[in-house]
Amino acid sequence: MVQLCSQKPISVTSVAANRSNVGLMKIKSNPESGSAIIAALVVIVIIAAVAANVLMNCTQRYNATSTQVKAWKEALYAAEAGGDIGYAECRRAVSNPGTQFTSSSWNAVAGAGTPTWTSAGATTFGPSNSFSTTVTVDQVWADTSSNPYYRIRAIGNAVVRGLKRISLDDRMNSTTKGDSLLRKIDFNYDHFIAKYGDGDGTNAYVQTVANPKVSRRIELIAAPVEPFEGFLKVLGAFSGPGSAGVVDSYDAHNGTYYFCANNPADAHYADSRNGNVAVDTASFSQGGTIYGDVGTNGGNVTHSNSSITGTIDNTISFTAPPVVQPVPPVSNPYKIGSPSTINPSSTSTSSATPDWYLYSSLNGVTINVRSDASGNPVETYVTVVITGDVGDITIAKGVNAKIYFTGNVNNKARDIINNNVDGATGVKNADGTNSTSVSRAGHLQFVGISPTNGTQQTISIAPPGNVWATFYAPDANFSLTGNPDVYGAITCKNFSGNGNTGFHFDKALRGTAGPPVEYRIASYIEDVR
Amino acid sequence: MKLGSSTTEKGFTLSEMMVSVGISSLMFAAILTTSVSLQKSLAAADDFFATHMQQIRIIDYLSRDVKRATVVTTSADKQSVTCTLPKYIIAAGDADAGTGNVNAGKRRSPTITPTANGAVIDYGATSATIGYTLNNQTITRTEDGVVTTIAASTDSLVAETTDVELSNTEFATSTVTFLPTFNFNPANNGSPPSQSQRDKRDGTTVFAKAYLRNKRRG
Repeated sequence: MVQLCSQKPISVTSVAANRSNVGLMKIKSNPESGSAIIAALVVIVIIAAVAANVLMNCTQRYNATSTQVKAWKEALYAAEAGGDIGYAECRRAVSNPGTQFTSSSWNAVAGAGTPTWTSAGATTFGPSNSFSTTVTVDQVWADTSSNPYYRIRAIGNAVVRGLKRISLDDRMNSTTKGDSLLRKIDFNYDHFIAKYGDGDGTNAYVQTVANPKVSRRIELIAAPVEPFEGFLKVLGAFSGPGSAGVVDSYDAHNGTYYFCANNPADAHYADSRNGNVAVDTASFSQGGTIYGDVGTNGGNVTHSNSSITGTIDNTISFTAPPVVQPVPPVSNPYKIGSPSTINPSSTSTSSATPDWYLYSSLNGVTINVRSDASGNPVETYVTVVITGDVGDITIAKGVNAKIYFTGNVNNKARDIINNNVDGATGVKNADGTNSTSVSRAGHLQFVGISPTNGTQQTISIAPPGNVWATFYAPDANFSLTGNPDVYGAITCKNFSGNGNTGFHFDKALRGTAGPPVEYRIASYIEDVR
Repeated sequence: MKLGSSTTEKGFTLSEMMVSVGISSLMFAAILTTSVSLQKSLAAADDFFATHMQQIRIIDYLSRDVKRATVVTTSADKQSVTCTLPKYIIAAGDADAGTGNVNAGKRRSPTITPTANGAVIDYGATSATIGYTLNNQTITRTEDGVVTTIAASTDSLVAETTDVELSNTEFATSTVTFLPTFNFNPANNGSPPSQSQRDKRDGTTVFAKAYLRNKRRG
């Protein structure tokens, strides 16, 4: 009979043992042998090999992506943070010049040739302070108005976490593709200092690094921003021009304004289409054509729902610094009195030494010009500070009047009389040369001092007449009614212009319209070595 | 009862052998199948990951060059990008390298010119040109004539870049996709990819937007 497989064979040894040890029960291990353990081991080995392969690949990829690539990106963040630290200090040239580079965070570098400052030690931040940045700022250039341009050099470092393994290399084969040509990691030594020293090959030496790290270096140029770069900067709501109005531009270097924005054949057509409007809110409504670019901060302006010839960007934002009441230098104090006719002094022919006058309010005031021996008007500079409202004013040809006011402007356009001419024909400089200050509007500049008591400043221009002037009043609401034309540029809070008003930006204002109101990063370089 | 002379019993019965061989065969078949599948999956995942690394590399290369560029132009098919960069480092033979190229390797100081459209920052008279080109299944980066292959894959890597220029800023958006090989034959016999294939490609998209830092908004 075939034995059932479930039946256990009887062991002869066990039977014999039972015979010789009657009465003593003995259990002996079963010597049964098989291949299960071998099969199990084979399976385990196969699975372990697969798992090890997976683990090895995962570790390598993780090491590359989650630590080394990450650190490479973070090093740039650190460098740009350093750039921002330097940039913030440069901006103090506008907002608070007396405090620029004076804190203990900055050290002046002696013997650098140009004014140079470096951050006092590395600024650390990020998780476990794994990021650090060091910054050096120097004045790389200054324009003819002595406005400094700054060069900011920042080094950003990020610690490379994880295994100290080279998982990126610069071999150009089917798998590596030169990762380290792009991303350079310092495991033991700082490769940049060892080879390039300070960046110019000076002071190169082998410097060990405490932890594996990535360093990235950037260079920025911070350039001053002039008050007027387009016709209109509005910090609040914009409404205008009216349906019959227009916004365009011209260049006083070419002489008097005339409309040519719809005539491509005109020689000055290109200069006529920069009537740019920038609005720092989403509030934008328009009637007549704007020959220029339009930017809003979150608006919904499109070419299909507007009449705009230039580019539309609904994602811009900007600032316009408030204005504080200026104080004349001790060496050039206010002139005595508040005359209805100002006859400037001999020193007023230099922009560095304007005549200063103080008025509680101004109305019906005429500012005369200095003349040379031949009777030609000479560029004359007068600064007037008004602690109240602004009324009628007349300036002679050649006069550069800067009018600061704390109150309001509420005038007819014809009563703001600017007798200069575009092109400055017939006007001389103090040294006898012909004037190059060609902008008629640039000769009459209104600056609204930002109220400190919460009151709303207003500038209201009514017909008849036209105005050649600039208005920088970031806290004033500007309204223009009727049909006056404004030649120049405006920075204001809310803007409203209706009717047949025309707004004409003088491109010649650029570079001549006074001290900077902001600094801007004008250049960005990364040293990829 | 007397037992036979045999004192040990060894071996298996036929049925035991049949059953055990049957079970073992099943087990080995399962192990073999699983192992092969695991290896194939591993190879596919490894290939996917390797291609993803190449995506990251392409994006990082592009972003770095776009950020420091002054001009970026893209082709109509979005698969070629040209960046114009300032030459920051003085090279041997440059006009300002000096006698014996003593200034070679130094950082160049910019010349600054205020213009009606803002200050122009100029690092030297010439500029560097970097081009990215997709050629079959290879993406090359060419800097002043020096060609570097930055990615190559049988997974049909496709990089597309669009340059957007606004009134006071400019940026480039880039997407890099590929077709995972373990799902489909990328060649597809020369036919356009099916909707299903396109869907799988979309699932691999890596996207980046890089602003030209030299054209910051004011």
